[in-house]
Amino acid sequence: MQTAATKTTMPVPPRRHMKEMVAFLQASPFLLPALLLFTVFFFYPIVKVVYLSLYLTNSKGVAKHFVGMQQYVELFTSPDFIQSLRVTLEFVLLTVIPGVFIALLLALLLEKQIRGLSVFQTILFSPISMSVAAVSTIGLMAFNPSVSLLNWILSNLFGIPNINWLNGPWTALLAISIVTIWMNLGFSTIVLLGALRNVSQELYDSARVDGVNALQRLYYITLPSISPTLFFVFVVSMIGSFQTFGQVNILTQGGPAGSTNLVVYSIYRNAFFNFQYGLASAQAVVLFLIVLVLTLLQFLVVERRVHYS
Amino acid sequence: MERNQNASRRPWIRKTAMWTVAASFGLTALLAGCGGGNTGSDENAAGGGGGANNGVIELKLWHAMGGVPGQALQHIVDDFNKSQSKIHVTAVYQGQYDDEFNKWKATQGQGGKDGPNIMQVYDIGTKFMIDSQDIVPMQDFIDQSHFDISQLEPNILGYYSVGGKLYSMPFNSSQPVLYYNKDMFKDAGIAEPPKTYDDVLADAKKLTKKGPDGKVAVYGIGLATYGWFFEQMLATQGADYVDHDNGRTGTATQAVFNGPEGLKIVNWWKSLYDAGVDLNLGPVTSQTQNAFLAGKCAMIIDSSGVYGNLVKGAKGKFEVGIGPLPRPAGATGGTIIGGGSLWITKDQPKAQQDAAWEFVKFAASPQEQAYWTETTGYFPITKAVYDDPGFKDWLKQYPDFQVAVDQLHSSKLTYATQGGLMGVFPQARQTVQDMLQAVLLGKQQPQPALDDAAKKVTDAIKNYNLTVA
Repeated sequence: MQTAATKTTMPVPPRRHMKEMVAFLQASPFLLPALLLFTVFFFYPIVKVVYLSLYLTNSKGVAKHFVGMQQYVELFTSPDFIQSLRVTLEFVLLTVIPGVFIALLLALLLEKQIRGLSVFQTILFSPISMSVAAVSTIGLMAFNPSVSLLNWILSNLFGIPNINWLNGPWTALLAISIVTIWMNLGFSTIVLLGALRNVSQELYDSARVDGVNALQRLYYITLPSISPTLFFVFVVSMIGSFQTFGQVNILTQGGPAGSTNLVVYSIYRNAFFNFQYGLASAQAVVLFLIVLVLTLLQFLVVERRVHYS
Repeated sequence: MERNQNASRRPWIRKTAMWTVAASFGLTALLAGCGGGNTGSDENAAGGGGGANNGVIELKLWHAMGGVPGQALQHIVDDFNKSQSKIHVTAVYQGQYDDEFNKWKATQGQGGKDGPNIMQVYDIGTKFMIDSQDIVPMQDFIDQSHFDISQLEPNILGYYSVGGKLYSMPFNSSQPVLYYNKDMFKDAGIAEPPKTYDDVLADAKKLTKKGPDGKVAVYGIGLATYGWFFEQMLATQGADYVDHDNGRTGTATQAVFNGPEGLKIVNWWKSLYDAGVDLNLGPVTSQTQNAFLAGKCAMIIDSSGVYGNLVKGAKGKFEVGIGPLPRPAGATGGTIIGGGSLWITKDQPKAQQDAAWEFVKFAASPQEQAYWTETTGYFPITKAVYDDPGFKDWLKQYPDFQVAVDQLHSSKLTYATQGGLMGVFPQARQTVQDMLQAVLLGKQQPQPALDDAAKKVTDAIKNYNLTVA
């Protein structure tokens, strides 16, 4: 037995090779459908995007003129693209942190069992069932400079002068952030609420026995217990914010003067408006790398603090 | 304990789901109600298509006419369908010009199936359409059936002729004019609409009113940062937008709008804004139209094609007046005839192309054009309309429109007023709009902003030319 074992470890014996091969062959028919889908909808587009980013294209998206890395150089020397990146980061900060925070607050409130709660739950969750277009159209009405209900409320109840929301550089980004937070709030809240309801009651019970106050309860029991979900919501919101498009397209078209020109919108603009698929592809590659790095960072840094039971 | 809680939790889920569904139904109904004014019925909502059915040739017409013009276009299509029994045209509203044009680009080369048989394209899409080679030049049909184009308005022909050939049939032609609120002008003691840049600034100051709280309640002017206005204002000074005589004697290779004429426009625009008399609502003109109709500004600049919309919207509130497009004192150029034209796509059977030509001819006929102008405020493309007795009566009823007609007829045809020709015009217009916003918001000074914009457009032209050849 022992001799056999030493024999098998050093040079890999042909029999184990065979075993692995057989296992692989057995597994591959099961993997094939998924692989095929991934190839068609994921790997092929990625390769194609990288390929197109090296070319100038005509209006039908056919690569016409090889330019190598020129479009990447152009991007990083273009003040427009730098602004676009900066605005996107600002937007992510403006939406993700307040969005998750508000969702957590609401979920904590909704977890309590009070009479008439279902009405509030319905109101909060209803944006989930609406499309980006509908939400943005409501935003368009709310922020309309001529007939804005929001401005009317602000000026009549709080004495804040009329704000030309969508035409000031900061207020436009703020307006889009508000719409985005509102739109995503229902989803984040419902996911967090689900997590809250799964926190073990025994932990709470024993905490009560130990005479723990509400804040301590929240900090030492609730938050650690829901941290995997909190982390999930955080990552998903961040990726979603990076990919924001519809709100910008309907509310501001990237204006005024590029102050809401988020990267994905500018990709759309270059690809389907200016028909520079090459440049748009280069932008897409850059965005992909940024999101990849940020997500990896989150997994490396934040996940350490996440508690999986 | 655990089970008990679960049981007590479940009912709210069901209730919440029910309420959510009910609420979203309610909202959808509400939004659908607000979204009225869309042209076309449900059957028109389908995308492209077209083909023969029971011997009737079905055609799809894609257009970008909303509101009053949309209804008027539907009326022309209905007239056509009633006038004969062999061809049936369905008009499909595809959103604003840009949206419609971009949808076309996405379905390019599929004319008969997913795309349109007849396509309305804005003026600045002309060069792109020709370069795409996915259309049949209108000149082919004109030559074939000996259609007399001498009856067409010369300025309009001037814009759409490229190399002596008509590639599309002009349809909705317009020029920007100054609309003003006659009641506000009377209150401010101003007798005439302003004609020069200085007049506009002076009048706008008089018209701007502050409320009791010190905030501006009425702005003198609401100037949309729409690139089309900038193009027109260049032409009134006789300046070109791109090189090679505005792309008319050769392929454009460079943007040249950053000269002293361009600077004059931007400086004036900024002076209005800095004086606090210009309401800046971004580049979308429907926003300034709404503000004008709501009495938030006393003047706007917009296409003559929205005259019908404005008169209708202002009914019972105030009287709408028209003045010529303002220009710097002493400028002697003219305005460019803008708007849209009809194109016949290539990827469809010959029988459908011929059927499409029948519709195009019908839409260009004096009778339909008279109706079109009277309802919308777009110019008639044929001169015959001006002799039409019904049209003369209409002009008497709306004498202000004569200002627009005079502006068109007094514009001499030069390279500047013929309008620039390049494949990336939509992008160039967008670039100019961003430039205007950057200047107004104080992010950039006028001359550097203009130079930057011109460089961006030049780069885009160079890339485009590389991919077309």
